[in-house]
Amino acid sequence: MTAKMEASAGAISENTLMIYGIVVALVGTYLTYLNVVTGMAVFSFFGGIGAIAAIWWGSDTIKHLCSYGLGTGVPSAGMVAFGAGAIAMIAGTKFGMASPIVTLILAAIIGAVIGYIANNVINMNIPVMIFSLMKLSIVGALTMLGFAAMCTGTFMFNGLVIGGMTLSMEPAGEAAAGGAQTFMVTVLPEFAGSLIGGSALAVIFFLGAMALQHPFNACLGPNESQDRTLMLAIEVGFLSMFVVAVMSYAFLDMMAATVGLIISLIGWFYSYKQYIALSKRDAYAWLDAKPIIEVGGHE
Amino acid sequence: MEEIVLGIGITALAGAFATVAGAAEDTESDIGSQGDPNSQVQLAPQMGYIHRIFNKAISGEPPAYGAWCAIGAGVAWALMQINYNPALAIILGSVIAVFVQGIYCTSGYLGRIASLAKFQQPVYIDIIKSLLSVTMAHAFVAIFCTVAMCYLMASALHHPFALPLLGLVWGIALGAAGSATGNPFYGKERQYQNQKYGAGVPISASGNIVRYAEAGQRSSLDNGWFTTKFAGPASGICFGLIVFLELWRTVLFEKMMGGWGAIIMGVVLILVFTFIDRWVEVWGRKTYGPYTTEEASS
Repeated sequence: MTAKMEASAGAISENTLMIYGIVVALVGTYLTYLNVVTGMAVFSFFGGIGAIAAIWWGSDTIKHLCSYGLGTGVPSAGMVAFGAGAIAMIAGTKFGMASPIVTLILAAIIGAVIGYIANNVINMNIPVMIFSLMKLSIVGALTMLGFAAMCTGTFMFNGLVIGGMTLSMEPAGEAAAGGAQTFMVTVLPEFAGSLIGGSALAVIFFLGAMALQHPFNACLGPNESQDRTLMLAIEVGFLSMFVVAVMSYAFLDMMAATVGLIISLIGWFYSYKQYIALSKRDAYAWLDAKPIIEVGGHE
Repeated sequence: MEEIVLGIGITALAGAFATVAGAAEDTESDIGSQGDPNSQVQLAPQMGYIHRIFNKAISGEPPAYGAWCAIGAGVAWALMQINYNPALAIILGSVIAVFVQGIYCTSGYLGRIASLAKFQQPVYIDIIKSLLSVTMAHAFVAIFCTVAMCYLMASALHHPFALPLLGLVWGIALGAAGSATGNPFYGKERQYQNQKYGAGVPISASGNIVRYAEAGQRSSLDNGWFTTKFAGPASGICFGLIVFLELWRTVLFEKMMGGWGAIIMGVVLILVFTFIDRWVEVWGRKTYGPYTTEEASS
């Protein structure tokens, strides 16, 4: 890399983004609890909205971390965020109603440990490393929690390992799961059809990680501008939400999954149009089937 | 015995799927200019070489294909949970994965090129129009073959992993095979055909990629024409061999020594391939030798 990557100053400060991101992500995840209150699953899509808010904030955090010359490290930053976040998210869901808050705190602790190791043990010596990795692992954990809540309709551990709200529990006759719990006389839950047991969480992991790293990775360069990068974050967020909505047909009823699908498609279409308009604004020229314009590279 | 015969048949079929997937994956990534050779495409406008090459800045191929194949397998798994026919579920999953891939391609190109406005690199919108269908078609073949192969492993060979996780793991392996095997053809053989053969890429030639054709100007579609012949089949053989040998050793030797048979066979295979690689390298050096000073100074 010859050109140094500069983090564009931007109209919205990083702390403002962080506050909006955390608040919307937490509120969105908690709003899926309306499913339990009302007995309908149609409020699941709020989890996706919360996840998009987390991605939106996280893409700006990646920009600040990676402006320290981590050229090829942009996709890796997305992966490490979700790797740290996955531990916090799975452990955090064990805490019932407090799950989203506990997930946030656990993710901050894990991120701080990873950041300390990267900075002081491996000696990467990047000033913002510890704080950035704390923020990124919070982003990863909240995004996974939001998408998991959208997919299954709940953010509690049992709902994630025993299937969604409408999935009936089957006797574990042929299922290998269960094992020693033969004292449960009624029915044993089937784990293979759940979000975690069926590894659908792995898909959410990658959907989130790609969406988190893509905005800055795609827009980096001397003319990077904050509003365009953030619009791309919303766009890829809605795109990930669309895939999660399709997968949620396995866990939710037809109506709830379709609501999520329609909202994600509308959001994606709007943000994609906006992103193309912003790219057109920032581009040097917008040409259709025109030849190369020579600017004096020596032949 | 019958079980083993069936297992070998499934192994061969999965290997065939993998070969097609590897060839399609590498052709797709070369046409779209993804992976490590893309750093030179990114660099070219900064050195004053305005070009009409696609700039698919998504991530490295392994994470990208891990994501696409995981999406394909995950959606297929979800649809099979609500009793869709597996063939239909795999096709629908691959279609959705390719949709996501195509959107990522366009936003990657627009983002990177718009951020290069300082160097007067325009956005050539016809590049997106003409390339997107080609890359998405190749990506569909790659994703469909990989997910179908994973479904064979899960259902016929009773692999303990769930389908989405298999898609993730084999998607990463697919991207790694295409990146490691196919990209040298694209990066060194194709982008720098205007350098003398065997000259390497000196610093002064950085970013001076091939932008003009024999007549007219090149777009990335011409890279596909070149790399389909060399890089695609090489990647296909690489990924096909990985899948075939991996399943072959498991199917045949899993029952021996309480499961250790397959692991020992894996170590033996690694040793055999290390030996072959070393032999080819030594043979190449002896036959073609180091670059002479005359060639190196040109």
